[in-house]
Amino acid sequence: MLSLIVFLPIIAGLVILAVPSSQKQIIRIVSLLAALAQGVLAVLIWRGYDPALPGITAGPGGSPLGSFQFVEKIPWISLHLGGFGSLNIEYFLGVDGISITMVILTALISAIGVLSSWTIQKQVKGYFILYNLLASAMMGCFVALDFFLFYVFWEVMLLPMYFLIGIWGGPNREYAAIKFFLYTLFGSVFMLLVMIGLYFSVTDPVTGNHTFSLVAMATQSNYIKDAILGPANVFWRYVAFIVLFIGFAIKVPMFPFHTWLPDAHVEAPTPISVILAGVLLKLGTYGMIRINFPLFPEVFRAGMYVIGIFGAINIIYGAFCALAQKDLKKMVAYSSISHMGYVLLGLAAGNSEGMVGALYQMFNHGTITAMLFLLVGVIYDRAHTRQIEKFGGLATYMPVYAALVTVAWFASLGLPGLSGFISEALVFVGAFSSVTTRYIAMVSVLGIVFGAAYLLWSLQRMFLGQRKPDAAYDLVVGEDGHEHIHFHDWNGKLDLDGRELAMLVPLMLITIFLGIYPMPVLGMLTTSINKLVQVLSPVVMSQM
Amino acid sequence: MHSLIQLSIVVLLLPLLSFVILIFFNRRLPRRGDFIGVGILGTAFAISAYIFWSVIVQTYDPAFRIAWDFTWIDLGNVPGVGPLQIKMGVVIDNLTSIMLAMVTLISLLVHLYSTGYMAGDKNYGRYFAFLGIFTFSMLGIVLSDNLFSIYIFWELVGLSSYLLIGFFFEKQSAADAQKKAFLANRVGDIGMWLGILILYSQFHTFSFEQIYANLAAGKFGLSNGWLTAAGILLFMGCVGKSAQFPLHVWLPDAMEGPTPVSALIHAATMVAAGVYFVARIFVVLTPDALHVIAFTGACTAFMAATIAITQNDIKRVLAYSTVSQLGYMVLGLGVGAYSAALFHLVTHAFFKACLFLGSGAIIHAMHHEQDMRWMGGLRKHMPWTFATFTLATLALAGLPLTSGFMSKDAILAGAIGFAKTEGGGIFYLIPVLGFFSAMLTAFYMGRQIWLVFFGESRTHLKPAEDDHHAAHHAHAGHDAHTDDHHQEHGVHEVSWNMRAPLVILATLSIFFVYSPDPLDGGKGWFMKMIQTPATVVGEANHQIGDLRTPVSTATLAAAVPNVEVPAAEAGEHAGAEKGAHSYADMRQAEIVHAGHAAHFTAIYISSIMVLLGISLAFIVYVFNIIDPEKTAIAIRPLYLFSLNKWYWDEIYDATFIKGSMLLANILSWFDTTIVDGIVNGVATLVRNFAFLNDGFDRHVVDGLVNFTAFTVNTTGAVLRKLQTGKVQTYVVMLLLAVFGYFVFYLTRLIY
Repeated sequence: MLSLIVFLPIIAGLVILAVPSSQKQIIRIVSLLAALAQGVLAVLIWRGYDPALPGITAGPGGSPLGSFQFVEKIPWISLHLGGFGSLNIEYFLGVDGISITMVILTALISAIGVLSSWTIQKQVKGYFILYNLLASAMMGCFVALDFFLFYVFWEVMLLPMYFLIGIWGGPNREYAAIKFFLYTLFGSVFMLLVMIGLYFSVTDPVTGNHTFSLVAMATQSNYIKDAILGPANVFWRYVAFIVLFIGFAIKVPMFPFHTWLPDAHVEAPTPISVILAGVLLKLGTYGMIRINFPLFPEVFRAGMYVIGIFGAINIIYGAFCALAQKDLKKMVAYSSISHMGYVLLGLAAGNSEGMVGALYQMFNHGTITAMLFLLVGVIYDRAHTRQIEKFGGLATYMPVYAALVTVAWFASLGLPGLSGFISEALVFVGAFSSVTTRYIAMVSVLGIVFGAAYLLWSLQRMFLGQRKPDAAYDLVVGEDGHEHIHFHDWNGKLDLDGRELAMLVPLMLITIFLGIYPMPVLGMLTTSINKLVQVLSPVVMSQM
Repeated sequence: MHSLIQLSIVVLLLPLLSFVILIFFNRRLPRRGDFIGVGILGTAFAISAYIFWSVIVQTYDPAFRIAWDFTWIDLGNVPGVGPLQIKMGVVIDNLTSIMLAMVTLISLLVHLYSTGYMAGDKNYGRYFAFLGIFTFSMLGIVLSDNLFSIYIFWELVGLSSYLLIGFFFEKQSAADAQKKAFLANRVGDIGMWLGILILYSQFHTFSFEQIYANLAAGKFGLSNGWLTAAGILLFMGCVGKSAQFPLHVWLPDAMEGPTPVSALIHAATMVAAGVYFVARIFVVLTPDALHVIAFTGACTAFMAATIAITQNDIKRVLAYSTVSQLGYMVLGLGVGAYSAALFHLVTHAFFKACLFLGSGAIIHAMHHEQDMRWMGGLRKHMPWTFATFTLATLALAGLPLTSGFMSKDAILAGAIGFAKTEGGGIFYLIPVLGFFSAMLTAFYMGRQIWLVFFGESRTHLKPAEDDHHAAHHAHAGHDAHTDDHHQEHGVHEVSWNMRAPLVILATLSIFFVYSPDPLDGGKGWFMKMIQTPATVVGEANHQIGDLRTPVSTATLAAAVPNVEVPAAEAGEHAGAEKGAHSYADMRQAEIVHAGHAAHFTAIYISSIMVLLGISLAFIVYVFNIIDPEKTAIAIRPLYLFSLNKWYWDEIYDATFIKGSMLLANILSWFDTTIVDGIVNGVATLVRNFAFLNDGFDRHVVDGLVNFTAFTVNTTGAVLRKLQTGKVQTYVVMLLLAVFGYFVFYLTRLIY
């Protein structure tokens, strides 16, 4: 099941390879079908998922079964290296509460991304092959339970992303692509070192061999005491935690490693921005939750305060930077930074409320920010500019678009009744309940005000009031005497067309539904998170 | 589930239904679906009236309370806490049922009124949808039984007020006002949210009942200061929503919304939500927090009143008057006059809604003229509006026989009692400000009545090419109105659907609705049903306030024999036994007692102040003994200070708004120049290093390689000379080698 959901897009990519590049529509449809099939599989996995099983660590007897679900585990690479022993790499997939939501999110965003890619005209074949490769790699990252396999997916993800930005991007695309690539590569080099160190420090309790299994690594008793990253080697464990954390923090992106993100977003085509914000950023925090924290719980406990501070910086710094932006997409990119700060803050709280909030925020940020980028794409397609100052009074002329923007913007600023609110609220509840992060939470609430400030201000400048004299569109009086607006070089429908609605409305419904009734997602999370909290801290921190 | 709970949930959901139907289908419905909005609200009001009847009239029990909740979020078995759930629920007590009836009634009247006022607007249907979601959110606040859901609906009220204030969003000023309102509210909300978090972090529950039970049991783990902080922070929510100083600035600007909206949200409901919320959390407020609240209320009441006296826009006068009256309510809660404050909340809701709707009628009739300087003489043309507006004005000014008189007097009496109990001094400032504001209120309302209804029409006096004029047209014109002078014959009384709400609201401003004794609201049903709840953090609570001697409740009752003050005062009433209420807290009991003692003092002083205010208005505007314009020039700095609203907008603009933008720009610059600069710098360094490396590679590494090759080459050339191919040479070399070995071996043996 999991293998299928991971490799479906690659299969689609292979099919596309056989399709002549002139058959654009077939290529698109094949991709869409793959994405939809992935969606169906995601639904099946969701329905078949048992929220009572905790995951995170091995089940009874050191086996992942009974704890993880949909497990697929077969030896993959087995090398005998003489004196070094043997290298055992497993093809090991499985889901628990913290990955199941991400699997669903990835399937959803991939499908939306295909729809959004419909308007790509340049080298359609190459685009969709890379896109499908990316979709597979993302999904693979979320279900891999073998560190080596995770690393492979992680690296495979980089390559298509590099080309998708570098070839199909905006004017400054090459700079943005190489920046993204190098930045992430920088992080993954460290990850590789830590991974090897971990391999030699951990043995599988069942076989006694060294292992890359993340499940085995998450149990501290599986560590060899004197190994390089064994419990006795405090210094190297700290170093390993920090470099691993930086590797993931780059992906989040966490201040001060965030500057690749605005560039990448501004240059990336709309669907790639959607994928980037909707899924890729989550890999950073997912990596922290899956790998960084449970493997080094004592370092995590020592570092909670610092992580919390970085979370707060992200929230407030991101909000202020967003306030200053003139480019709408850049504003949304900085809002992403701000919102991912909530995830960091929730994780830093280290208690169930905060961590559930953080994971829920990851899901909600995925849907909401995808919506934001799609909406930015809508206006960019029409006006060929994203300068906020070039608009004004759009609400009068594009009422449906304005209505959807209003909902999405309010979702982003955390309005109750929409999903983002619940996750932010839980993050604050958790962060405030934890003594460690209490004061950080008190500062971070400023993000609520400034988040509202930049969003409402941009809403006002673009949609309310009257058309600006130098606006990117003309005002024409139609035959019926009503005023209309007209974009140059745009012959499509003025307000949203069917394809755009098909992308936006599902996301919006999800946002509203999960804002009113969050349990479908939270219900899958809680058991795993409660387990994770126990793993992270035998002494509970949320108590006074 | 109790049947009243079921009904209240129906009441809550009905306006939401109205919103959903109207937002999607208004264009397909006849009359844009306004009848659906009115009909649904009518139903909601009918049910609320039934709840009111059941609870207040039939049960008539001050302690009445039913609640119901369900698990909304289940966090499972949380380590260290145990099973943890976030619940949502509904509570119905006397306060809820009164608020429920009040909100649905005013919302219904506003719906009805709007069918006249908003007729012909191009977004007519959407307007009713927004009214629906607003009413839903407001009812949510009223019915919530926990802090989390109250916060949710609190924010939703913020959203719906955002939508309603900016209903004429094409106008820049409306778009500014809606943003300002939302942001000012959010500033208050983060305080409220922090307050909620403080309480949650201790008890892991949001439920009022559980939090209070835990507090009363002394389980609060943090210091006393945190508890006071929690109270003040929660109060910040009220500061935002109820437009208290220093976050009051949004409310006057919010007059950009359609006038019926002002009646609904800025008179009766949204702004009342703040006061309602403070009442809900009243029992957790420590004495220190209450002092902060009292002073905030007094300052707000006074400040807003001083601003109202110079405003020329008919709605702005009312807006500042609202701020001022909300200040009274907050003051009342702060001084412990709990029932009086809520009483004023309800009476004010009706008479202020009447005033706003009346002003809407005037504006409608005057073709969107809002400046009182160009009105006058309207009483002849609009008798119904005149009568109801005047009645509501009397209530606002606090003249006897009106509802406002009773409630305001009760608050001021409480303030006097509070000042006495707290030992005088600075605390007397609170009643003094209250009484002074009462005078100002009478003055500015007298001025308004005179300018609008009396004298001769001044429409022709309006300067044609005045900037002010244009500005006001921008304010008012949601239709593309021409700026010709309004002809007097164009002024007419409004139609029945706008008149009926005025009459109903004016009727509800008369004393007998609330109390049989026009001088004492305490004898009426309202004050009996809404009684000060016993604090859970007072001085009697041993766990709070380590310095105080623990006093058990039993001793308290002995120490203060007259603790059952409200009931004792109303002694002979049948409800006395039922209404009996004992205070666990000495301070609370003393304040209530002193407040009752000050009842007549307050009546005398406030009557004198009101008469003074009205006489002053007569002197200035009726008899023209003092020329207002000359006076304005004579005290120009003061006049400007008031006219410009104490310059709060300018101050905020210069500090917070400009400051935030400056910080945003600095951080953005920092981000692109410094942070990204470092990244790019590192990249450049790496690249330069790569060039260096390249040179090193080419010259040193490659050199080494070449050198090695060269060495091998040379050696080879040398060695090649030995490879002659002749056997003799090889034999010689072999012999030499063997010889050498022997020499080596022998030397090793010797040494």
